[in-house]
Amino acid sequence: MKLDLIDIKKAYGEKTVLDIPQMTIEEGKITGIAGPNGSGKSTLLNIISHIDDTYNGKVKYNGMDFSRDIAKNITYVFQKPYLFRRSVYDNILYPLKLRKLDKKTQENLVKDIMKRLEIENLSNKRGHQLSGGESQKVALARALVFKPHLLLLDEPTSNIDSESVKVMEREIVRFNKEREGTVLIVTHNLDQAQRICDTTIYLDSGRVSN
Amino acid sequence: MDYILQGFKEAINLIMTFDPEVFEIVLISLFVSMTATILASFFIIPLGVYLGINKFRGKRMVSRIIYTSMSIPTVIVGLLVAIILSRRGPLGYLDLMYTPKAMIIAQTLLLIPLVLGLTYSLAKNRGLNIARVAFTLGGSKFDSTVLIIKELKVDIMVNVATAFSRAISEVGAVMIVGGNIKGHTRVITTTISMMNSMGDYPMAIALGIILLIISFLINSFIYSYGQED
Ligand SMILES: Nc1ncnc2c1ncn2[C@@H]1O[C@H](COP(=O)(O)OP(=O)(O)O)[C@@H](O)[C@H]1O
Ligand SMILES: [Mg+2]
Repeated sequence: MKLDLIDIKKAYGEKTVLDIPQMTIEEGKITGIAGPNGSGKSTLLNIISHIDDTYNGKVKYNGMDFSRDIAKNITYVFQKPYLFRRSVYDNILYPLKLRKLDKKTQENLVKDIMKRLEIENLSNKRGHQLSGGESQKVALARALVFKPHLLLLDEPTSNIDSESVKVMEREIVRFNKEREGTVLIVTHNLDQAQRICDTTIYLDSGRVSN
Repeated sequence: MDYILQGFKEAINLIMTFDPEVFEIVLISLFVSMTATILASFFIIPLGVYLGINKFRGKRMVSRIIYTSMSIPTVIVGLLVAIILSRRGPLGYLDLMYTPKAMIIAQTLLLIPLVLGLTYSLAKNRGLNIARVAFTLGGSKFDSTVLIIKELKVDIMVNVATAFSRAISEVGAVMIVGGNIKGHTRVITTTISMMNSMGDYPMAIALGIILLIISFLINSFIYSYGQED
């Protein structure tokens, strides 16, 4: 999914926290977003995902305005993911249930993504009882399982052991390569940006800097 | 001081022997207040969640109205329902005044703003986060509402129990629209208030103890439910 941001401005009271005259996110690429704390990275993802719809300007999705159909093909893994008070398996199943796929397909997709992210052992654990790192892997699985076109990730691998980081990066790249999924990833880790991103955008005080 | 002790003794006796009058009063109380709680919860919980997580024009005004009417005095609700149901009132032809149905109507009206307000504030504080997750996974507003009710079911149960407690312990509304008719509309609180004015303490104490036990049971049920996971 190609994104065009036009004249995006977001303010809290008097304070402008995001000001982007023009930005294009290429389809099928992994784009990194870097920048210091408070530079507007999460705000940008909130706007693109339409979780925040109180901004000025326009975001075009493959040239179109935001709609329910577009919403169904975008997903967003928050910096602090919220998992449901049910098993990890049922957490990952949720988006498939919303889409009313047949039972067998649902089961296969959930099992497949759990295997890829190496979280099969968590299957029966309750979502809200997981550690931070486990939650982030499960949240990524829940986002990837329904094969969205655009994946938004807000520091998905912070506070995670290096083995898990490897697994998550591998699956993000696989999603991008095999499904031609577009990825926008906020990262503090420039090594990570180097490893997986095709391009990286730097934000500073709400503006793009070079 | 002897009469107090005597009162307690006789009260215990009434409870232990399953005194039919006491038993009947308790059953009517439970029936009226449970029905009202269920009626006030059914559509109001989803509505409260929906209003809590969505933006709409006049939301501030709506919040204010909900919050202020949460603590509406019970006698006011009783009076309102009585005016509407009385023989000369708009719904007088239904002949509901001084029936358990009238009491259920009054308590339902009393509980609606309470359940709405509690659910609304719960959804505003904790539901928004959940609604966002549903949204980012492709869910509609309806999906979000269902998900929030499931995720916050323990808190919602606590709210429902709070509402039930308010209903079963209120005396103003049921007294006005029920009339405290023996075997028909006489409930725990109206009996206690009547027995007290008659100076007949044993039954008042017995019913007081039962009322305490009921609220204790509800609260411990909710507590154990909350601890489950
Ligand atoms: N709800 C809010 N109210 C007021 N200011 C906010 C709110 N959310 C974010 N901000 C401010 O907006 C700026 C950008 O925040 P954010 O996008 O979260 O930064 P980043 O993700 O890059 O760390 C920060 O200065 C932050 O304090
Ligand atoms: Mg952030």
